[in-house]
Amino acid sequence: MSLITLAAPTPHAAPRSGFLWRLLRRPSGVVGLLLLAAIIAVAASAPLLYPDDPLDMVAQPFLWPGQDAAYPLGTDMMGRDIASGIFHGARVSLLIGAVAASVSLLIGTATGALAGYYGGRTDAALMRVTELFQTIPPFLFALAIVAILQPSIPTITLAIGITAWPSLARLVRAEVLKLRNGELVQASIALGAGDLRIIVLHILPNTLAPIIVSASILVASAILTESSLAFLGLGDPNVVSWGGMVGAGREVLRTDWYIATLPGLAIVVAVLALNLLGDGLNDALDPKGERRA
Amino acid sequence: MTTVRLSRRAFLAGTSAATLLGATGALPAFAQPAETPKRGGTLTAIIQPEPVTLTPATNTAQPTQVIAGNIFDGLVYYDFDLTPRPSLAERWEVASDGLTITFHLRKGVTWHDGKPFTAADVKWTLENVWKTVHPRNRALFENVAETQTPDEHTVILKLSRPSLPILSVINAVGGPILPRHLYEGTDLLNNPYNNKPVGTGPFVFKEWKKGEYILLERNPNYWDPGKPYLDKIVFRVITDAAARAAAIEKGEVLYAPFNPVPFRDVERLAKLPNLKVETRGYEWLSPVLYLDLNVENTHLKDVRVRRAIAHALDREAIAKVVWFGYGKPAISPVPSTLASFFDDSVPRYAFDPRKAEALLDEAGFKRGADGTRFTLTHDPLPYGDDYRRTGEYLKQALKRVGIEVNLRAQDSAAFIKRVYVDRDFDISSSYNAAFPDPQIGVVREFWSGWLGTGTPWTNGSGYRNARVDEIIQSAAIAGDPAQRVKLFKEFQQIAVSDVPTLPLLELKFFTVHAAHLKGAVAQGDQVYAGLKNAWIDDGPRQN
Amino acid sequence: MAALAHLRRGFVQIAFVVLGIAIINFFLLRLAPGDAAQVMAGEAGSATPEYMAALRRQFGLDQPLHVQFFSYLKNVLTLNLGYSFRQGLPVSELIAHRVGPTLLLMGASIGFAITVGGTLGFLAARHAGKAADTIISILALLFYATPVFWVGVMLVVVFSVALDWLPVGGMITIEAGHTGLAYAWDVAQHLVLPTLTLGLFYLAIYTRLMRASMLEVYGQDFVRTARAKGVRAHRIAVRHVLRNALLPIVTTLGVQLGSVLGGAILVETVFSWPGLGRLAFEALFQRDLNLLLGILFCSSIVVVLINLAVDVIYTLLDPRISLGGTP
Repeated sequence: MSLITLAAPTPHAAPRSGFLWRLLRRPSGVVGLLLLAAIIAVAASAPLLYPDDPLDMVAQPFLWPGQDAAYPLGTDMMGRDIASGIFHGARVSLLIGAVAASVSLLIGTATGALAGYYGGRTDAALMRVTELFQTIPPFLFALAIVAILQPSIPTITLAIGITAWPSLARLVRAEVLKLRNGELVQASIALGAGDLRIIVLHILPNTLAPIIVSASILVASAILTESSLAFLGLGDPNVVSWGGMVGAGREVLRTDWYIATLPGLAIVVAVLALNLLGDGLNDALDPKGERRA
Repeated sequence: MTTVRLSRRAFLAGTSAATLLGATGALPAFAQPAETPKRGGTLTAIIQPEPVTLTPATNTAQPTQVIAGNIFDGLVYYDFDLTPRPSLAERWEVASDGLTITFHLRKGVTWHDGKPFTAADVKWTLENVWKTVHPRNRALFENVAETQTPDEHTVILKLSRPSLPILSVINAVGGPILPRHLYEGTDLLNNPYNNKPVGTGPFVFKEWKKGEYILLERNPNYWDPGKPYLDKIVFRVITDAAARAAAIEKGEVLYAPFNPVPFRDVERLAKLPNLKVETRGYEWLSPVLYLDLNVENTHLKDVRVRRAIAHALDREAIAKVVWFGYGKPAISPVPSTLASFFDDSVPRYAFDPRKAEALLDEAGFKRGADGTRFTLTHDPLPYGDDYRRTGEYLKQALKRVGIEVNLRAQDSAAFIKRVYVDRDFDISSSYNAAFPDPQIGVVREFWSGWLGTGTPWTNGSGYRNARVDEIIQSAAIAGDPAQRVKLFKEFQQIAVSDVPTLPLLELKFFTVHAAHLKGAVAQGDQVYAGLKNAWIDDGPRQN
Repeated sequence: MAALAHLRRGFVQIAFVVLGIAIINFFLLRLAPGDAAQVMAGEAGSATPEYMAALRRQFGLDQPLHVQFFSYLKNVLTLNLGYSFRQGLPVSELIAHRVGPTLLLMGASIGFAITVGGTLGFLAARHAGKAADTIISILALLFYATPVFWVGVMLVVVFSVALDWLPVGGMITIEAGHTGLAYAWDVAQHLVLPTLTLGLFYLAIYTRLMRASMLEVYGQDFVRTARAKGVRAHRIAVRHVLRNALLPIVTTLGVQLGSVLGGAILVETVFSWPGLGRLAFEALFQRDLNLLLGILFCSSIVVVLINLAVDVIYTLLDPRISLGGTP
């Protein structure tokens, strides 16, 4: 929920020309986009630069960054290459972020759209469910799901996804409510268009702006949540993720702080990139300014 | 000291556990203190995790016992070489046939509520706790046919068949004695005194603030004159390892048993002048880290595969890298600390990946096109990063010989269900406390009688061997210590040769305490015993 | 009238939430592998089947599931949260012990986040586009993007160990036995780092929220009108803009409580803070379902009640009521 409000649209009415151009005009958009591109490049190049399993114990443990040129970011307590871990971890963390966000988007958008479009009892029922999910502390809920299903990448992703949607549902519902009574939708109804058709063709495209903005924030927050779960010991030991690396390094935070800090910095950069991008998108899409105009 | 000598002679006279425990016992380290102990002061200690209950009678969990050892006394305590020494029992005798054990109790001992401690308390506890709900003692006291109390200070155990391991478990937590006047006729598991215990020990329970601390105060009427030295002990619950390290380093906490901080921090803390890291005081436990190889698995049921796995693991590396030197390679399920039982002639599995590969080839599991022979799952004991890292080492080591390992993470409830109830695993890791007699801690892993009961920390591998079962059952009721040693040596030969359970390390647990806390480690069961010898030297100290 | 309607709605909501939580959690948590008896037997390091059977009997786990559920539901409806067999205490008592520290931590963190975050956001909006705005926005983003537990551990390293200004963890200095003012001061010292840790994350959110909503209000007609009328910038910012910009903050606050409790789990773990979050976390792993259900139940009720209060406050703050005359 915090995440969505973070992206609450700021009204700088921009002239309506190319969307990308508008995005690139915002410094936050540019920086966010560049950082994200860099992270994606890191993820993509992992198998090329580090073809071996990042879990391999390749060197002496606790090599500090710079101590050995072969391991520029050092090695962890098991002698695993941290640089290799960060490169491979980017893939896993981005994947968790993207899939978890998609799950949230799917549930949140569907719930919000149905509630907003149909109103009445459907709305009431769906909103009660949304409220229910909102009253259970989402992190605790995610913890419970992971504990029940046992930690692995799919269960962690699912747990994050199904606990992060309620605020999005509310946002979408609010947008749909506005459009529901708009001329376009009313005209379509008059023409006898089916509900699904109206929702998919006329309503959702017009709520796309907040959804896209939310998506970037949801990805960021999923990456953060994964690291918190890993900190509490609920990570998947078979793959390297940034959160898992931070979690593994927490025990030696006092002595070898670089082990948890380097992947932690990767998380910070990724979350930062996605938030900046969210800001940029928000400004560029600027739905409110447009509607007011 | 006279009583000690007397009881030792009496003890030696009874043919019993003397050989079993090694008769060499040096005098305890605190017997000749270099400095005179000072009275007074509050000791802040760490308890982690928070205990469930404070009675050791129904719960043998580690935190419960750490605290209960201060509140209760045992009939005996154990020295560093595991010799029993007098506590509530001043002396004892074991008849030569092993069928009668007599305890002569200390006079003038009172419970914390002022009532006298008598033989009736011991008898009641034995019959209603040790023989029934106590998780570990039930089997050991099963053959006690009758408990006689000819007078208020004598307890005589009449056994239908010998049970020599009894003498290895009767310290404050292994054989805790409950006040009969507060427990008789009540529902033992729900008795309110479980959480505000009344014992005879050096410290009196004062307050338990859940989630924060447990406060104990000095027992002014303690039977051991002058002791304890400390006025109060505060056991603080500190949930995060980094916070524990910080609290110890800063001197907010003076005593922290059971690996309170990660190994990497110990290395650092051990170098600080104001701290001491101590690995003594865990002798009574003698923990062994092992892998259970599920013999019902299609691959692991072949003994060659199990031996191959044993050859594929470099135990020196596990000890050094994963356990930071806080462990030494184990070759037998019986740890070397149980010197009289330990058999060092068992087959050895040297680190030899080639031999491992040869054994796997021989078993018919050739490497496939991708270099993999087959895939196994591994469920590390969910007790923290050390076991997880052991699992990560296993994954890498077995990959080298062509076995792919999938690690699975879970919490302890799920782990127990998976391994001991559902038996849905291939390799699991665990550790057990061997205790001074293999009968108590070791054979649990091998006796087939446990299979199907779903009981945690029993036969995890699913191993069934008629001879092993027979040995275990005969040793339990053998009255001749030499005969038992012979039986346990044969057991080790078979167990190591069949290797359903692969011992990895004899773990060295450690305690971190302030350098100016003296007498904190004074006996072989110290971590589960009272801190009655501990005192704070608040004279000039470096800091 | 509006307030009354809100209250009625609130109670319906509570009833629904209560039922929903009871049903979802009861059955969801029963799906978790392993039970409390296994956890306890596991911790004991040794057990016998008889011992485990005795534990299950004690916990009521030997009853059929539906019997367990209906007896739980009956208890909940009579406001009886049941008994934590593991802890040997009634759930309500356990929660009562822990709720104070958690509310203190949450209150202090949110208070810190709103006042400091709000001020920073206000400043950023007043200087939108200038250096101050950029710096504040970047700081806020950094606070937001840094994992909470990492911040916590690092604060301990710096302020407790290296500088020795503040205690490492816990809520009081137990052995000191403070009372009265000394006690309050002691708690305050212990509270600083946990509050900062939890607060910084939300500070980031409120900074950004405040900035965004201030800017939004600036764009609205009545502000333009005020500007055209020549009202001074500062007066506009405080009288017109700030007041309206507070609305989304209040709303967010209500919606966010659940998430703050989640964050409290991490902070309470790092700082050994004896609160509900950690209790819930431990209850989960110990399969102490009565306790976990009780905590979820109480936290939900608190969230619903506070949202109710927020709704009422909202009606009071609503611009259409308070600023109706200013077109």
